[in-house]
Amino acid sequence: MSQMLTAAASPDVPVPSEDDVLAQARAGVPEAFAALVREHQAMVFGLAYHFLQSWSQAEELAQDVFLVLHQNLARIESARHLVLWLRRVTSNRCIDWVRSPRNRREVSMEIVHEPAAAARLQDPMLDALLRRLVAELPPHPRIVVTLRFQEDLDLAEIATIVDMPLNTVKSHLRRSLEVLRRKLADRGHVHGS
Amino acid sequence: MDLERELRQALTRKSPPRGFDEKVLGRIASGEKVALPKPPARWTGYALPVAASLAIVAGGSFYFWQHERQRQMDAEQTARNVVLALQITSAKVSAVQMKVQEISRYERQAQY
Repeated sequence: MSQMLTAAASPDVPVPSEDDVLAQARAGVPEAFAALVREHQAMVFGLAYHFLQSWSQAEELAQDVFLVLHQNLARIESARHLVLWLRRVTSNRCIDWVRSPRNRREVSMEIVHEPAAAARLQDPMLDALLRRLVAELPPHPRIVVTLRFQEDLDLAEIATIVDMPLNTVKSHLRRSLEVLRRKLADRGHVHGS
Repeated sequence: MDLERELRQALTRKSPPRGFDEKVLGRIASGEKVALPKPPARWTGYALPVAASLAIVAGGSFYFWQHERQRQMDAEQTARNVVLALQITSAKVSAVQMKVQEISRYERQAQY
């Protein structure tokens, strides 16, 4: 087992920081890379899933992102840079994915089969409806909305990730929220301003 | 309903299917390579507005050129018509003058 996993398992040895794990992954320790994957897989898979609304496509895309990461580990300077890099590559790949004619959109029942999130005081039908409405947005507004609400990023961070002017990001978000409000209202959901 | 709060709840991070990390490591171990997606080229964002501007300028120029050409042709036609009218008038005046001279000559001969 790697040092990292040993360290994580033992209460006497301090848990390595993510920068340490990154350094080990760069040094070619497979377990360290696996730890990076496990650390960030929910972020990458979540972005892909909310964008594509397909478990199988999101899984394939997320795997591709981590393969690209493995090939480009030497470029990653820090744990913070890693997160930015993963968000950027995932976002670009999502947009490329829907533009590619070979990746026809799967409109399937996968949404219904997704594992239930932890029990919350939340209407699951409304969640599903919102995800579907977000998935109907055009690619750029869709990735802006997904980054904004999944990752809770501010607009300047989103502009950096998707390489767009800040005003374009603002405009995409404002229009997307208007569209979502209108579509929800059409379906009888009353909303605040 | 607070839409932004609902969106935060609907778009939470999602854990991938079990064994995701093993699949990634398996693909790496098999030597599979995936190309880094190219960031969208900056010029593509400007291509449409630039093309639209060029089309408007070209269309406008063509329209004004065509309009000017038509105006010029109309002016030339008008000038030709005026010249023709003057020629006709001149011919008529000459004919009348000849008639008047002829009548005057006959009158003078009749007096003698």
